[in-house]
Amino acid sequence: MPFDQALRLTSILLASASFIGLMVGTGLPEWLAALTGMALIVVLLRSVGISSVDHLVMRVPISATGWNLVVIGGFLGFWVDLLWVSEELLPAGIHFLMLLMVIKLFNLKFRRDYLHLYAISLVAILASGSLTTDLWFFPIFTLYLLAGVWTLLLFQLTKSSEATGSFTIPRTIPHDAQDGFDRVTPHLFWIGNGLAIGAFLMTLVIFFTIPRLSAGFYQKGVGENLRTSGFSDTVNLGAIGPIKRAPSIVMRVELSGRPLRNGGPLYIRGVSFDRYDGKAWTNRLSHRRSLREETAGTFVLRGKRSTVSLQSGETIQQKILLEPLDTPVLFAAPFVESVSGPFPNLLSDVTGSVYLPFPSASRIEYTVVSRSTPLVPADFSSEAGLYPESFASYFLQIPHESERVGALARELTHATRGAYEKVNAIQIYLTHNYRYSLDAPLAEQDHPLEEFLFTRKTGYCEHYATAMVILLRMVGIPARLVTGFLATEWNEYGNYYVVRQQDAHAWVEVHLPHSGWIPMDPTPPILEGAGDGNPAWTVLGRVLDNVRLQWNRFFVQYSAADQFAVVQELKAGSTSVRNKALDSMTSLVSAFTAILGGIITQDVSRVRIGFLGKTFGSVLIGLAVLLWLGMRQPWAGRSPGEKRSRQDQAMANLYGRMLTYLSRQGIAKPTAMAPIEFVGIIRARWSAANAHVASITGLYCQARFGHIPLTQEELQRANDDLHRLMSLQKL
Amino acid sequence: MNSTETIRAIQENIARVIKGKPQVIEMSLVALLARGHLLLEDVPGVGKTTLAHSLARSLDCSFKRIQFTSDLLPSDIVGVSIFNRQKQTFEFMPGPIFANIVLADEINRTTPKTQSSLLEAMSEAQISFDNKTYPLSQPFMVIATQNPAEYHGTFPLPESQLDRFLMRLRIGYPSPEEERKVLERSPSLHPAEDLLPLLTAQDVVHLQDQVDKVFMEESLTDYLLAIVHSTRQSALLSLGVSTRGALALSRAAKALAFVRGRTYCLPDDVKELAPIVLSHRIMVARQQGLRPRSFEQAERIIQDLIDTVPVPV
Repeated sequence: MPFDQALRLTSILLASASFIGLMVGTGLPEWLAALTGMALIVVLLRSVGISSVDHLVMRVPISATGWNLVVIGGFLGFWVDLLWVSEELLPAGIHFLMLLMVIKLFNLKFRRDYLHLYAISLVAILASGSLTTDLWFFPIFTLYLLAGVWTLLLFQLTKSSEATGSFTIPRTIPHDAQDGFDRVTPHLFWIGNGLAIGAFLMTLVIFFTIPRLSAGFYQKGVGENLRTSGFSDTVNLGAIGPIKRAPSIVMRVELSGRPLRNGGPLYIRGVSFDRYDGKAWTNRLSHRRSLREETAGTFVLRGKRSTVSLQSGETIQQKILLEPLDTPVLFAAPFVESVSGPFPNLLSDVTGSVYLPFPSASRIEYTVVSRSTPLVPADFSSEAGLYPESFASYFLQIPHESERVGALARELTHATRGAYEKVNAIQIYLTHNYRYSLDAPLAEQDHPLEEFLFTRKTGYCEHYATAMVILLRMVGIPARLVTGFLATEWNEYGNYYVVRQQDAHAWVEVHLPHSGWIPMDPTPPILEGAGDGNPAWTVLGRVLDNVRLQWNRFFVQYSAADQFAVVQELKAGSTSVRNKALDSMTSLVSAFTAILGGIITQDVSRVRIGFLGKTFGSVLIGLAVLLWLGMRQPWAGRSPGEKRSRQDQAMANLYGRMLTYLSRQGIAKPTAMAPIEFVGIIRARWSAANAHVASITGLYCQARFGHIPLTQEELQRANDDLHRLMSLQKL
Repeated sequence: MNSTETIRAIQENIARVIKGKPQVIEMSLVALLARGHLLLEDVPGVGKTTLAHSLARSLDCSFKRIQFTSDLLPSDIVGVSIFNRQKQTFEFMPGPIFANIVLADEINRTTPKTQSSLLEAMSEAQISFDNKTYPLSQPFMVIATQNPAEYHGTFPLPESQLDRFLMRLRIGYPSPEEERKVLERSPSLHPAEDLLPLLTAQDVVHLQDQVDKVFMEESLTDYLLAIVHSTRQSALLSLGVSTRGALALSRAAKALAFVRGRTYCLPDDVKELAPIVLSHRIMVARQQGLRPRSFEQAERIIQDLIDTVPVPV
């Protein structure tokens, strides 16, 4: 099969696939489905080369102007459809699309016509794809894909011979049918199908391996999560120190539901630790339970501390964008009440820490509602009471320390009364008598705590917090160590905190009898590292970081739900546009009828105005079309030059069809062969056809190169010659 | 008798002398009607001179023949000034160039100086002598012959000079049957002398004017230019076809269409004429052949080039 015929065939198949998709998917009106189906069948039969259909179609020729009128009619029909019949944009658009396809099918002359057909088919298959999720769509889409691959292939293959041809007869004139280069050989057929299947399989692979939307699976591999320390079950003293120098961003925190705290530090809690063995902290209460999912995606922490539930502290609502970390801990300001986010499941332990089932490989965004615990006034004077054994074993545990630590604790709290004052005294002592430094190699010591308290008096957050916890426990006040982040960097362009690895922090939670767990921080406020470089760079960095956050929010996290919302909005918008158009038209027409009514008769019934509006609307549209046509005058005033060029075109088409037919019969005209020369070839190779070919060629040359107008009889003669030629069979 | 029949009659007239060479006869008529000059290049004895003679005899025009030799001088062609004793002035005696059809036999045997005097007359259609310009009579056509086989004592025409000829034709040996007819013909020393003139000089000028009116379609002009352009691009040629060559091809195509009874050109006209109109205007790159001036080689290259240029459809 020659390429041009195959191209025609696959193009029609492509159109058919999209048509079937639409027909089954949306339920086209019967008359439109029948019309399109018939058009497809007729064109298909024509392209297969059934000459009787060809003759039939030739009998009812619609001129180019006729087709234009059909398009205009279709467009008007689209508006009528949109406003009165289906009253919706999508079905009306689909009906118009089908009409366009029918028109295109009968006008497949130029290569751009083929391109138009492909565009229409693409829109149709997209429309049907968006309207259905049924299984039947799969075979249809597979057919479409197959036809699409073939069409692309053939379109490209016919392009080369086309490019060398001229523009008057833009149909393929194959080079030389003898060598089989320009025909669809079985070999090529299987290569094409193989390509299609290969493309399909690759799509499948991509479909199943490339994750949906927001998950940057390949962007950040599993092994590339940010390394953090201090959030596992056991943490050696001094583990936080090294990461205090890393500037990587860990999370961004937006506060909502309350006035923005411009730049004030925000504690973001990770996990707490209860047991200290002199060198390392351990979390013995790490047993995790699943959280209850209250509504879809919202998890609530159970087991409120009873003392706190009496008073309501300040609620903090945070929106956190967490970078992929190597820990499953979910950070939030203390103390978490509920978490909502795209999690299948969440865990928590009794200390109020929240965990993911496993470390997230991708960036996650979640919202947390926290409630801070206020200090109850009753605690200002109350002594630390007696605690049950189970509680004391956890939070009053003391490692075997030297007596010096105990002595120091007693000395500090000697003059104070009440638990709260003791806590305060210890905190003030630590804050004021020790020097903050990251260069404190205390971890190598046998007793790092004593080293910190009595010898070096230099350390960082971890040492301060550890010292405070142990000192408090020495005097019988339950306390625990908490690790997390202290957010201080405020991005004023996006109004959010930027939390970096260097913001990792450790502090203390003290249990007071009435208030419950109260966060305390013995670490002195760190003087802001002035070495952040050029302030301009800092500003630029913050702006850029804000842009990055917005990008993540509006593009990466753009989900099906958002898409759906947009579609809903569009639909609502189109309905309102339609209503507005109808309203304005009705009001316009009613004004018109009012005037008319005033002239004709005084009592035009108001009830009939709606009906009149529709009638007059149609009449107005009709008048506008008539006016437009009258201005263009497609039927009159045609100059002889235009007429001649039309007949030229008709003759050129006849000649082109003759060439196509001859090439199908095995005698193709090389592009570098002149017309009369080709007649000589025909004479030598197919003498029976010679007279017809010579006659057609002569008339063609006369019209094409001589610009001598053909008479209607000559055109008819050429047509007859072509039909007689086509009825001949080559031996 | 309309122009088509006239031309047919002339062709038949000449065909009575030159047997079995209708194409050559047609092309020589094309050269005449396109106001061009003809270069016949072939081995001796195939009828070059006879063709020129027959053409001249078929027209009622003046005909001169110049046998070119190495000692021929420009004044032998153009003419001389002779002192007139009675009038006491120099008087210009026109040379053989002042004729309608001039047969320049074995043009490559004479010196370049003499050659150029003829060639200037060919392109300007006038003669300048002693600060005076003498227009040549119309129609004016030079039919030159040259012998490719002999190289001793010849002065080959340079390409720029060859460019002045509209076309270069080969006659070739006749087929055995045609040759037999030539032999069986009644023995006559000058068969062309028996021909009867069919056209006057005025008729020829009129026909030439009609050729100018032949229509050449725009895309056909593009086709012609594409052919010319391809010769300039080809790696096989060291010199492509000049603009004069393109003009010549266009004129010749019109004349051929006219000779064949059409008022418009076809791609066939251009394609058929291209080898004979263009092949003497090009220089074959030296590495392409042992004899860079070989006629056949140049024609074959042009033919190959034409077969790559798409014909407008």
